[in-house]
Amino acid sequence: MKVVGARIPRYDGVAHVTGRTTYVDDVRIPGTLWVKALRSPVHHAAITKLDTRPAEEMPGVSAVITWEDVPHLVYGPLEALGIPADEPLLAKDEVRYKGQPIALVAARDEATAAEAVSRIEIEFDERPALFDVRQAFDADCPVIHQEGNWYTHFEDDMDRRQIRKGDIAWAFENADTIVQGVYRPAAIEHAPIETQVCQVVPEPSGRLTIYSCTQALYFSMGVVAAHLQVPLNKLKVVGGTTGGGFGGKVDTATETMCCLLAMKSGRPVKWRWTREEEFLCSSTRAPWHMEIADAVTKDGWILGRKMLTLHDAGAYSRFSPYGLTKHSFHHTGAYTIPNLEFDGYVVYTNRVPTTAMRGFGVTSVSFAVETHMSRVADVLGLDPIEIRLKNANRVGDTSPNGVVYTDPSTVPTIQTIAEAIGHELPADYRTMTSEQRSGEWLPEHLVAQLGNPEDH
Amino acid sequence: MNVTVNGVTHEIEGGPLTPLLDVLREELGITGPKAGCHQGSCGACTVLVDGEPRRACLIPSVYAEGKEITTVEGLGTPEDLSAIQEAFIHHYAAQCGFCTSGMMVAAKAYIDRGGTDDPEAIQEALGGHMCRCTGYAKIIEAVSAAARGDSFDLTTTAVGKYTTMTTGGAE
Amino acid sequence: MATASLSAATDVVVPGSADEAIAAFGDGDDVLVVGGGTIVVPEMTYGRLRPGKALMLARTGLDGIERNGSRTTVGAATPLEELTGLPAPLGPCAANVADVEIRSQATVGGNICAGEGHEAPRGDLQGAFLALGATVRSAGEGGIVEEPLEEFLPKRRHRLLLSVSYDEPAAGAFAGLDRPHTHDYTALAVSGARATDGTLRLAATGAGWWGVRLPSAEAAADDPVAAGEAALSDVDPQDDALASAWYRAKVLPVLVRTVLDELKGAA
Repeated sequence: MKVVGARIPRYDGVAHVTGRTTYVDDVRIPGTLWVKALRSPVHHAAITKLDTRPAEEMPGVSAVITWEDVPHLVYGPLEALGIPADEPLLAKDEVRYKGQPIALVAARDEATAAEAVSRIEIEFDERPALFDVRQAFDADCPVIHQEGNWYTHFEDDMDRRQIRKGDIAWAFENADTIVQGVYRPAAIEHAPIETQVCQVVPEPSGRLTIYSCTQALYFSMGVVAAHLQVPLNKLKVVGGTTGGGFGGKVDTATETMCCLLAMKSGRPVKWRWTREEEFLCSSTRAPWHMEIADAVTKDGWILGRKMLTLHDAGAYSRFSPYGLTKHSFHHTGAYTIPNLEFDGYVVYTNRVPTTAMRGFGVTSVSFAVETHMSRVADVLGLDPIEIRLKNANRVGDTSPNGVVYTDPSTVPTIQTIAEAIGHELPADYRTMTSEQRSGEWLPEHLVAQLGNPEDH
Repeated sequence: MNVTVNGVTHEIEGGPLTPLLDVLREELGITGPKAGCHQGSCGACTVLVDGEPRRACLIPSVYAEGKEITTVEGLGTPEDLSAIQEAFIHHYAAQCGFCTSGMMVAAKAYIDRGGTDDPEAIQEALGGHMCRCTGYAKIIEAVSAAARGDSFDLTTTAVGKYTTMTTGGAE
Repeated sequence: MATASLSAATDVVVPGSADEAIAAFGDGDDVLVVGGGTIVVPEMTYGRLRPGKALMLARTGLDGIERNGSRTTVGAATPLEELTGLPAPLGPCAANVADVEIRSQATVGGNICAGEGHEAPRGDLQGAFLALGATVRSAGEGGIVEEPLEEFLPKRRHRLLLSVSYDEPAAGAFAGLDRPHTHDYTALAVSGARATDGTLRLAATGAGWWGVRLPSAEAAADDPVAAGEAALSDVDPQDDALASAWYRAKVLPVLVRTVLDELKGAA
């Protein structure tokens, strides 16, 4: 191997340090129009009037688009994974989050575009809004989504991700103590230093050249093609240079609108979000509400776990069902818990739709599971590292969704950490390995969950 | 109104209240300084004004009149890199690169006014610059190395504080 | 040009002296005073400020710190960075603002006269100068006036601040909530000073929309714990982008105690 393990300078290092790297906003095409958006100022409302003519008639304005200009208005980025489309590219008849784009203007300069947006006549009939996922299940809760307040399209039309394993009732009857915890990580804004930005050039050949900051070039290309109802070879996407994304630049949030404006005006257009738009209107990592109840013995075995997760998807699905699915597989963390009752819901609220961010789905459950582990140790008066080693997964153990572990590294990882921080372990914990359970590490209640790694 | 940028004097048409950042990027096509926030909060737009680091997005162009502006393009070219640029390459201090221009301009000013390789002094001097990619450690190492006057082998990257791999360069 | 100035309609005036600035300011009607521009340029960029006239102070000679015996006078166009080496409360208060690039451009006048922010209070120096018992010299309707800062603050958006003066105190102290770098305002800070005649002044910024004295805390100053609690009746903290009113109410007594302890220690 020539490169793995070698210290190679970045291929784009010289360009970065000399200011030569061309980000989307650095592309210079003569005649480019500036784009500004009319965004919903309210959280949840019916649109009772929308008149873009005052903007269209303004000198210096080349094109205005609304939902009527979109050939295929509602397209879901993960339709191929079975997540039905639910979000219109531009709002039609209603808005479901503050900041939702309703109309876009392309004009000769930023000031003209902003003025034109302010001239669009729009009226709303406000509706009650939902922000707390816990209230989504109340009978008197406002209905947010066309199909109700939570996603109902998991396999077999299940309205939740459900994992059942072993005998949870036995675990809770035989526990010495039940340890409960509620974990609510907040939304996180990706805040890349480069805001969302896109430039589209209509070519004389009829193709569209799209300069995009997307993290997922071919993926975004597919989304654009679907909305525009054009073959892929009509689009030429120039990407690969992103000023930070972290998951926030996979939503294809600008490209299709810019294509429509370029087509309608016949001119190149550029849409660069302000930092305020980036903070207020761009998608975030989701907030989560997680409740864990562990049935534990006084010597630190976790007999069973009940868990309820409410994932806040914001106003539309986007990638949330996928995130929750990953989350569910990891709800025991690096530990073997034989009796499980997990239910996870994707809940809709009137917030900006949530999206991917660095390990989304799993970071939330890792946080909750590890914090809870420490809480269990605390309640039982046991060492927090020893309790983790005791319950750590080993060869032959099974995961929540029935996968047999063939080569887990939990035990040596925790032992290495203990040594690195100078935490002394008793002899039997020091000599513990990842090998199939036996002896003191194989209590009766873990026998039934053992699987054969060869079968896997 | 005249503004001198990287040694070249330009007559600009933008209004007196137009931020210098927009004059540079939109009128003069000098795109090294970046538009991260247009409110002085991120540091991606920092340029040198008569050798002093300032946020270009906060300077009304009338205040730039008669001044010597230096952008990242003026620090060095691919054929003739300055020490701070070499330091950033060798110490892997740029990932997406969007904050890099502002960071290096501020670092150069810090070193020019006698800044040392002390990490705390570097953090104070570059305190107005945000990076969402690197976690800052390698940026501070790069500035530290440049302040020390290290020379840099650009065919490989430095062994950093957290590097465990000891092989260097491709075979 | 792609980004035509959003304030293309504004008349920009760049006076070359203090007298020219005062004349151009007139009675201040629809005039935006621009010191360094760090606060108002983004406001104009985002279209929130569209003044008829912008008065740029960079070339008026209104910068500089003068000392006359124990009396110090700071010109309105003095950059904040020039104050950072001064004793407490003013020095650490100025050093706590943003970062060196912002401080080198931002001016004392711009900071004192800052209007309420879009989502946050501003004007960190108001607290330090209130604690120093400072007076302000300003121009505008009715001519040039010198008055205590407390009386100037409610009118600050309608006057042209020329300079601020104070007597060196016997002791000073500053305690502020730790702030992230870059262009952020202190969520909460307390300044204190004991004048040479023994008068104690305490002031807080971030506990309301502009800096205020803490007379109840001053009256109870012999018992810093009691003074900290008493300070709560002098303020009306708001929820804003930086912190909640609840949080400010929790931290204010701690900052008051810290300042009083430091002043006692310097006795």
